[in-house]
Formats: sequence, C-alpha cells, structure tokens
Amino acid sequence: MVGDQMKSRRRSRGYWYILPSMVFIVIIFMIPLTYTIVMSFLRWNLLRPDLGIRAAGFSNYVRLFTDPFTLDTVGRTFYFVLGAVLIELIAGLCIALALDTEFKGWKIVQSVLLVPFMIAPVVVGYVWRFVLNSDYGPIIHILRQLGLGGLVEKPLLSNPSAAMPVLIVADAWEYIPFVTLVLLAGLKSIPYEPYEAAFVDGASSLQRFHYITLPLLRPSILVAVVIRTLTSLRVFDIVFIMTGGGPGTATETLAFYGYRTAFQAYNVGFSSAINMLTFAIAVFFTILYMKIIGGGKNYA
Amino acid sequence: MRNRFLLFLVVLLTVSCFAVPLQLSSEVGIHTDAWKTRMEGFTKETGIEVEIQQFPYANYLDQLMLGYTSGRVEIDVPYISMLWYPALSIGNYIYPISDIPGYEKIDESDIPGIRNAKLNGKTYIVPYMNELGGIIYRKDLFEDPTEKANFIAKYGYELQPPQTLEQYRDVAEFFNRPPDLYGVTLMGRRSIFLATHFMQRLWAKGGALLDLNMRPIFNSEAGIEALEEVKYMFQFANPAAMNYDFQEALNEFISGRSAMAEVWTTGMFYVEDQSRSSVVGKGGFVGFPRPEEKLGEKLPMLYISWGFSVSSAAPDKEAALEWLLYVTETQNEVEAAPTGNIPARFSALNSPELAESFPWIGDFAAAMEKCIPTPIVPLIPEGGSIVSGIIAPAVSEFLAGTKTAEKALNDAVKEVDRLMRDGGYY
Repeated sequence: MVGDQMKSRRRSRGYWYILPSMVFIVIIFMIPLTYTIVMSFLRWNLLRPDLGIRAAGFSNYVRLFTDPFTLDTVGRTFYFVLGAVLIELIAGLCIALALDTEFKGWKIVQSVLLVPFMIAPVVVGYVWRFVLNSDYGPIIHILRQLGLGGLVEKPLLSNPSAAMPVLIVADAWEYIPFVTLVLLAGLKSIPYEPYEAAFVDGASSLQRFHYITLPLLRPSILVAVVIRTLTSLRVFDIVFIMTGGGPGTATETLAFYGYRTAFQAYNVGFSSAINMLTFAIAVFFTILYMKIIGGGKNYA
Repeated sequence: MRNRFLLFLVVLLTVSCFAVPLQLSSEVGIHTDAWKTRMEGFTKETGIEVEIQQFPYANYLDQLMLGYTSGRVEIDVPYISMLWYPALSIGNYIYPISDIPGYEKIDESDIPGIRNAKLNGKTYIVPYMNELGGIIYRKDLFEDPTEKANFIAKYGYELQPPQTLEQYRDVAEFFNRPPDLYGVTLMGRRSIFLATHFMQRLWAKGGALLDLNMRPIFNSEAGIEALEEVKYMFQFANPAAMNYDFQEALNEFISGRSAMAEVWTTGMFYVEDQSRSSVVGKGGFVGFPRPEEKLGEKLPMLYISWGFSVSSAAPDKEAALEWLLYVTETQNEVEAAPTGNIPARFSALNSPELAESFPWIGDFAAAMEKCIPTPIVPLIPEGGSIVSGIIAPAVSEFLAGTKTAEKALNDAVKEVDRLMRDGGYY
C-alpha cells in the first residue's frame, strides 16, 4: 500500500519534470500547427482585406489535390528528397567508414570535412551559382579543358533536365558532412567484441560490414535519414538563390510553391494547405523509415 | 533637488508627447539614399523632425503588409513602389493624399505617369523616382566609324540605337561576337525581370494583359509573337543570361561584354559608377523599340515608379504633406538626384544642372514623353501574382522548351482567370 503511494507520487513528480518541455513543445509546435490547420480552412488573402476572412471548407484542399501542378510539384519534391538523401547516405557512409580509424591528422580531416555544413544554405546557393557559371565557373572551365564542353553547352541551371540534379548535388555537398558525423558517432559506439568473434569465425570484411556494422548502425542511419528527409522536404534557400524555381517549373518544390503562394500571392489559406501537405508527407516519410530501417523499433 | 528632477522629467515627457517625429519608411536602395539627403534640410526649414526605418527590398512589402494587417505599424509616410499602393489602399492602410488640405500645391501636371497613382480619382502616391524599361547601349560602339561602315554594308541602313524591333534584332545580331562581346544582355532567370521582356514586346505589338472587363487576353497573336521574339533575342545573348537577374545583366554590360542591355534606366547609374564600371561615359539610353509600322505612336512602355504615400493611421497628415511638398519640389529633386535618383518631375529632368551630371537624362526624358508609362503589373492587388507568379513561369517554360508559346500562354491565361474569379472580378 505504502509502496503504491510512493510509486504514484514518484510518477506524478515525473510529470512535473517533463512539464517545461511539454510547455515548450506546445508553444513552438502545437500552437503554430493548430493555427496553420485552422488557416488552411479559410479563404484569406492579405492583399484583399476588403474580401475579409471567409470559411473555405475543404476548397483549399480540393484545389490542392485536383490541380495537376500540385502533383507535379510533389513529384519534383520527392525527386529532390530521394536524390539528396540517397547521395548523402551513401557518400556519408563511405566517408564515415574511411574515417573510422585513427590516423595522423584525422582530427584536421574531420574539421575540414565539416566546413560545407557550417556554411549558410544561402551562401551555398551563391557559391554553386558561381561555380556553375558558364562564363567563368571553374567546373565548366574544367569540363571544357577536358573536351567535355558539349555537356554544358546549355548552362546547367537553365537546362530543365539538369537543374534539379545540380540542386541535389549542391544540397548533398552541404549535408554529406552532417550524415558522416552522425554515422561516425554510430560507428564509434559499436563494441569491438562482435568483430573479434567474426575474425575468429573467419568472416570477410564484407561479411563483417553486412552482418555486424550495418545492423548495429541502423539507429544512426535512421536518425540521419529522418533528419535529412525532413530538412530536404522544406528546401527553399538553394532553390531560391540558384534557380528561382526555374527554368520553367523544373525546380519548384513544395516549400517554394508554399513561399510563392504565401509571399507573392499572399494567399494565406491556400499556402497553409500546401504546408499541411508538406507536413503530412514528412510524417509519412518518418513512419516509413522507422518501419524499413528501424524494423518497427522506436529508436527515437 | 528632487522636485527639480521631477519637474525635468515631466517637461521631458510632455515635450516627447508633442514632438513625435514624422516616421518614414523605405527599402534600402539608391533612390532612398538620394531623398535621405533632404531630411536635414526639411527639418531646418519646417522644424518637423523626421526618422526613417529601412528594410531590405526583398521583405519590405512583407513587413508593411504584416505590420498594417496586425495594426502594429508606426509609419506615417511609407516610400513604396507604385505597384503596391492598390493593395494598401483597398485595405485603407494608406490615405488618399489628395484629400489632405493643401495637396493642390503639388503640381501633378509636371509628373509623367501620375494617372497611375490615382484610384477613383484620388491620388494615393506621389512619384519621386520614375524610370522606363528600355535599352542601355554602348555609345562608343554605335559611333565607331568602322562599325558604322560595316553595319551599313551588311544591313543597308545607318547604325543607330534601335528605334524599331527590326533594328533591335539586326543590331543585336551585328554586335554578337562571342565570347568577347554579345549583342544584347537579357534577364532569363525565372522572375519578374524575365516577364519584363515579354511585357514590353506584348505592348509594342499592341497586345495587353487584361481587357477592360479584367479578363486575361495575353494569349493573343501579339502575345505569342512577343514570346517567340523574346526567345529569338536570346540567341544574341550570352548563354549564361538564361539565368541572369537584373544585377547580373548589368554586371555583364558594365564589364564591357555586351553592346546593349535590355534593362531599365537605373542601370545608367551603374554604367557611370567609376568604382565598378569599365564603360564609364560610354553608355546611352533609348526607350524600348516598337514595330516599324508603329513608329511615332504613343505606346505603353514599362514604367517603374517609387513614391511617397501617407498611412491612414498617421496622426499628423499635414506634416506628412509638408514632407511630400518639400521632397518632391523640383530643386530638391535636382539636388538629390546625383546620389542615385531619376527624378519624377519633367521640370527636374529638363534642368540644365541635371543634364550636366547625367548626359543621358535628355534621352530618357524624350522616351518618357513619347510613351504611355505603364506599370509592369496591372494596378490591382492581384497584379504582382499575375506577373511574377504566373507570367514569369510561363515565359520561363517556353524558353526552357518544356511548353510551346501557345500552350505556355494558354495555361497562364487559365491561371489568371481563376485568380480573377477568386478575387471576385467576375
């Protein structure tokens, strides 16, 4: 009886401990989310205060899901997210494996590796725009020197088939260090004993990677992939700086479409609906990753 | 001692209540720098203190809109783009300046394009800076005897700044000698800048964006021709121009790498800037060309204007009007101009003092007189969305080759139609 009372008191004390974080979450997450949901059901254009704020029912969502442009934009966003996350994961894993050993000067290598991640995305956009400039950009110059000038006859950022891959490369360049860092931390936390046992059993390095490293690295991969997917979904800076969504609509992602609707058309209701769609996709991806990589376990 | 201190505090509070400075707001830019030079003189002359808040251009309108919508804005005189006043006036955020007693002292007849500043017969913005979309060209190349001789031999007529679209094409082709010199610099990045190339040609060919019932009509034959003409001109531009914005286009011109740049008048300040231009003293300006058969006709031409408006919430509108009278007075416009402004008044444009500082100003004034200054976006709240959000992507799609001219314009017309229906226009 006394034990039960103590347990219940301890539990209620626990709730008090988490209260500050709960308040924080409500303020920075729940209130804006609720507000966005409410706005997505309104017809509200900041440029037309004379029309007032009117209930829109599901009309913003009906427009969102019946407009072919939205579907195209979702497709482009998926293309960007999958392309960027895949490149970052593969390259990040390779680099992390290469760095998972102590050699002379490895700390310097790690610091240098982090440089792109420390640069603001806006600056990354400008740097890549400069690098790809068809007049004086170094990459184009090198390609021309190698006799591959024909590949870049049409400037890459003005070429509808090349612009999105270029954005993916720019994004990957910035975030590979982040993925590397997360995976490196994961590699460092793997105990040595399983490898010892594998050596004794005569496992090859590929088998050790497949049966030990990869399974034990899953939580870190999950963290890296979820974080990168969520941040890639709302990519805006490099699109805005490098292509402005063009050529045509070739690089217009959901976040950019949301921005355009909110800050060019000032259509608050419809842009909130776009943001809710982005949110739903983010939730979908997170659950999907947890099922695939996490094997259903809740690593978060 | 304590009593004296309290008395001092009371006096200070009382004075601060009465002497509230006039609050001005603006973007960060060269024409703002120009009129800022007048603030001190205004205070000396009128005793009215003025303060200014400046925002980066990219989020100035957002700041104004969000401030006005939430009722938290404390700006008496916002210096705004002419394109913004319809939305601000519909929301009653800005006040009809012509309703302020004493407004008649402002000589409107001296300001070209003033009809654009009026809504239902009332003036909401007094233009301070006016400019036109046109062509900046290299006078030294156009006046070179060898170039002149070669041009006449090839095309059979005199080399001159293009007056017609046909001449414009010929001159661009003639000077296109990549990679050292390009015929023309254009702004191909998907943005309002790209839309300007289409709009100029649409107007020159007699087309329009909207009809009198506000229905979109730019997918007309003139529209399709205009769009195809934009693409045609890009063959005489640096391939990199497909992703240029205004600044990059200007940079190419002022580095001496193109014979012409299809931009607007402000570009001339950059041409004359000794710290970065390699073509100082070699630039000229000409208004946008038109088809040969329309030479001599007054046609719409891209017109960009910034000016002063007055917030409805401004407590002292007479003080705001005092500022407007002072800063837009001819002599003040002339004196401020060298800092980086193209005055709105004809009397300032034609002043000998200004002609000395800006030898090209006469050409600009002449172009202004020969055209119907037309804002790049229709002066309705949805105007910006139509041009930046719908037309610019359509032009970009055509240039990128993902849609034909007809399809790009038809799709854009459908979108504008939906926007106008949502806005209750029909």
